[in-house]
Amino acid sequence: MTDFSKSLTVATSGLKAQAMRLRHLSENISNADTPGYRRKTVQFESEFGTRSDVASVSTGKVNLDRTELERIYDPSHPLADDTGHFDGSNVNLLIELADAREAQRSYEANLKMFEQTRKMSSGLMDLLRR
Amino acid sequence: MFENLDVFKIAHAMASHAGQRQAIISQNVANADTPGFKSLDLPDFKSSYTGENQTGLQKATRDKHLHGTHSGIALNAFEEKSIASPDGNSVSIETEMLKATEVSRQHNRALAIYKSSLNILHKSLGRR
Repeated sequence: MTDFSKSLTVATSGLKAQAMRLRHLSENISNADTPGYRRKTVQFESEFGTRSDVASVSTGKVNLDRTELERIYDPSHPLADDTGHFDGSNVNLLIELADAREAQRSYEANLKMFEQTRKMSSGLMDLLRR
Repeated sequence: MFENLDVFKIAHAMASHAGQRQAIISQNVANADTPGFKSLDLPDFKSSYTGENQTGLQKATRDKHLHGTHSGIALNAFEEKSIASPDGNSVSIETEMLKATEVSRQHNRALAIYKSSLNILHKSLGRR
């Protein structure tokens, strides 16, 4: 594997991982009002592939956030217990949005690396074309 | 100048150094959010070409050498000294972007040198 294709592979793995993270974030955001929903978090892992010797990144297991669910007071809600409370979700929109912004930033950085590698390799190809 | 085509060798070494460094930077950027990942870098072209800062280091130059991963991602990559964030990750995207621009310029420069040397060679052979 040449350095350029290594570089492209690892940048692509970064893009994939960030996209996966964004997917889980949007799942969390869309379920912000679902009763009993626990927010999902993904952990990034760096892995040395079998085909290449670069540390490409991948998303590990999906974890559920174990923090307390929000107790919402609404006696008319079908899920309300004797005290009139029911379990909401533990999604904090502010955290999700900040995380989404970070994912976007990292995605763009990976995209830039991909683009630059592509430009460098096409510059190399231009040497052949005279 | 063209007796044993040293210019081409240097330009080739420069371009391939840029390629290796680009692969390492891509790896850093991809792992910018991986907990515990330490950012790597290569020594600059001058010191890696002239063989400085490799004194006393054993180098695997063939596949059969002990620990010789010849195709490995740069034998002499070193961990960068920078402050790690609380999760143990020491990649700074800003620094990586700076390095990426440096690498891209170095690669372009190497290709320009190669091309113009090639042109001179062509002219001196009497072709267009």
